[in-house]
Amino acid sequence: MSEPLLELEGVEVRYGTVSALHDLSFAVAPGEIVGLIGPNGAGKSTTLHAVMGALPLHAGSIRLAGRPLAGHAPEQVARAGIALVPEGRRIYGGFSVDENLRLGLAARQDEGADEALAEVLSLFPVLAEYRRRPAGTLSGGQQQQLAIGRALVAGPRLLLLDEPSLGLAPAVVDTVFAALATIRERGVTVLLVEQRARRTVAFCDRTHVLANGLLRTTLAPADADDTRALVAAYLA
Amino acid sequence: MSLVAAVDAQTLVDAVGLGAVYALMAVGIGLVFGVLRLVNFAYGQLVMAGAYTLAFTSAWPAAASIGACFAVVLALSLALERSVFRPLRTQSPAVMLVTTFAIAFLLQSVALVLDVRDGTIGEAARSLGGLNQAVSVGGVDVRKVTIVAVVVAATALGLLALLLARTTIGLHMRAAAADFRTARLLGVQADRVIGLAVLLSGLLAATVAVILTVQSPLVAPDFALKETIFVLVGVVVGGLDRLWTATLGGFAIGFASGVINGALPTDKTVFLPSAVFALVILVLLLRPAGLFARGPAVERV
Amino acid sequence: MKRVDTALGLLVPAILVVIVGVLAATASRANEIHYLSALVAVAMVVAIYVFVGNSGVLSFGQISFVAVGAFAAGVLTVPSQSKSFVLPDLFPFLRDTTVGNLASLGIAAAVGGAFAFLVGMPLMRLSGLAAGIATFAVLEVTHNLLREWTSIGPGATTLSLVPETTDALQATLGALAVVLVAWLYGLSRPGRLLRATREDAAAAQAVGVSVHRQRLGAFTLSGVLAGFAGGLYVHMLGSITTEQVYLELTFLTLAMLVVGGIASLWGAVVGALAVSGLDSLLAKAEDGSFVLDAPSGTRLVVVGAMMALVLVLRPAGITGGRELSLPRKMSE
Repeated sequence: MSEPLLELEGVEVRYGTVSALHDLSFAVAPGEIVGLIGPNGAGKSTTLHAVMGALPLHAGSIRLAGRPLAGHAPEQVARAGIALVPEGRRIYGGFSVDENLRLGLAARQDEGADEALAEVLSLFPVLAEYRRRPAGTLSGGQQQQLAIGRALVAGPRLLLLDEPSLGLAPAVVDTVFAALATIRERGVTVLLVEQRARRTVAFCDRTHVLANGLLRTTLAPADADDTRALVAAYLA
Repeated sequence: MSLVAAVDAQTLVDAVGLGAVYALMAVGIGLVFGVLRLVNFAYGQLVMAGAYTLAFTSAWPAAASIGACFAVVLALSLALERSVFRPLRTQSPAVMLVTTFAIAFLLQSVALVLDVRDGTIGEAARSLGGLNQAVSVGGVDVRKVTIVAVVVAATALGLLALLLARTTIGLHMRAAAADFRTARLLGVQADRVIGLAVLLSGLLAATVAVILTVQSPLVAPDFALKETIFVLVGVVVGGLDRLWTATLGGFAIGFASGVINGALPTDKTVFLPSAVFALVILVLLLRPAGLFARGPAVERV
Repeated sequence: MKRVDTALGLLVPAILVVIVGVLAATASRANEIHYLSALVAVAMVVAIYVFVGNSGVLSFGQISFVAVGAFAAGVLTVPSQSKSFVLPDLFPFLRDTTVGNLASLGIAAAVGGAFAFLVGMPLMRLSGLAAGIATFAVLEVTHNLLREWTSIGPGATTLSLVPETTDALQATLGALAVVLVAWLYGLSRPGRLLRATREDAAAAQAVGVSVHRQRLGAFTLSGVLAGFAGGLYVHMLGSITTEQVYLELTFLTLAMLVVGGIASLWGAVVGALAVSGLDSLLAKAEDGSFVLDAPSGTRLVVVGAMMALVLVLRPAGITGGRELSLPRKMSE
């Protein structure tokens, strides 16, 4: 591929003496939506946290547009243009929707705060409606939209999502995926970690399968209905 | 019946004054706890350092003396943060409490070594001494410094509330106190937020130093130790998790001390600490997470 | 392997104690007090360890039990002819009772234990910060009551004329006894159950361990040993004041435990001896009888700095928080 936006090479992350990620290498080109699936404990969340600089690398490197991210604090990685929508949303329930969005502006480097907010509110109208409400009173699906919106206001080049469909009803999941499609259209690159294998494989340009900290295989949208391939990938 | 009768207006006024000072200290402790999850037992030593500065500069004009006090306290706060608090960030609250306990003793002993005049020094800034005089308001003797304390506390708390609620950095601080990890992932700069909390905490300590030295001009290495213990206890009792509950706890213990002091017969006032701390134990047993806290305590240790 | 390790866990501290005891017996009059202090410190710190080390719950209040033990032993051993002059406000039964050395130690232990049990009943439900603050409150209440209630003791004045019966032999045997009891408790079923709650209280509770009961047991035992140590202390000094069993001693003993290693018995002993030794050296430097000359107050500065450094750099202490064991071969 041409100059990748995100590149992982030989990444190893350890918890104590246990390897959570082992020799992980893959890349994400600008404008792509890449999926990352795998069973529980495979290391999907760990991968995203390692990219954000929240976990130290035992070996290997992670580069954003050629620049290594090693040694940078999470807030610096955020300011470099990567936004994370964490697992479980992690929104601030006691703060208003508006305050939650404004928090997302912390990573924003340029002046376009108001436009960014307006854009996000048009993408997720429900957030405009509940702007002054405490974020904790929103439903799960609405909180997910808030979490994504919060990440978007920073104007990131790369959006990382950690299991956005977790705990959401199927109809709501549709909304989320539709939003992701729009996001990609606006030029944001996406790395999507998910549990729902079939849906993710069908939606993303490419989907990597992670198991036990190792990259097993890569699937294309055409493989989405190939149950045998999916199962084999998970159990390899 | 007799308890109510003993608590007269004078007692209430004094209790409010005491509560105000304790509230200021509680905010100082609560701010640092919010962002660092660190209970600073050595907070009183910051006040002590400020008091010593005021005493050593008591010949200077009042404004310069107070300025020096603020400078010293701020410098010491930042030094402590760098050298002790930062490395301790990953430990449990109990370990941090023990460590700051050690630092408190350390600083107190340093003062003992440096204080060549045998542990006591003379007056604080003389021009402020006038604040220790009382005015009579409706039959109650109110010392001017009590009025100052209440006004300063109310102003400081009001300004702080505005800072936290209306400014961007205030928003960042609140987010850091609620969930630091996520805040950093969103781009909130840890160093800035912590630095501001420590700065504000230091400003409050210096303010308290000024107020306390007016009330009791003799400065010794254990200056403000008793108050610190009371405030720490009050903050935990109020509920350490949120700033306003911590502040309320600080105020409450100050106020309660004042009221109990007034209510106890004069020959029994020496038992004030027992009464207050017994009350504290009772409250902690009933509500371990804090008097004003929501929900049960989450076990950290 | 395990049996030897367990035995080592008792032998090494015991041998260290005996060595210091021998040094105490053979030392000059001026130096004797330092060795005796070290031994009494061992007794106190091990008493604290029995609760704090095994339960993982922080307590600032153990010195309260040392205090009541010291005052009980002291008040009851002041010679009867002087008592009514020195302590005029005492309760009659305290004024009229005088006991011997051993009895006073026994009573000190009993009083310490009873007080601990009483206080522990409600308090052992707490953990973490709440426990730390609540036990601190206990220390404050005890200090205040001992200082102001002249019916039970000397109040704010010094209690003197207490027989100085803690010589090298008593101190050594006393420290050994405390170490032995602590070691036995550590091996016992309640001890092991308590350590299980230290690792994960919720899990232990889920398998039926009564966290409250185990903690109360250790807390009471700690109170017994601390009271006993208080008895040794007052008989070593020949006098006692409330300030000697208050914040500074709390700080010193916690420092000793932390520096040695909060989670092991031999850590408690090593810490007590090491910090005691340093403290004595500095005390001599302070009054000019040593090579160095230091201004008064230095010892607390150094001990405080040491404690802070250990906590920041090596929180597990000198001994690393593990019990003693023989080096293992690589292949095991």
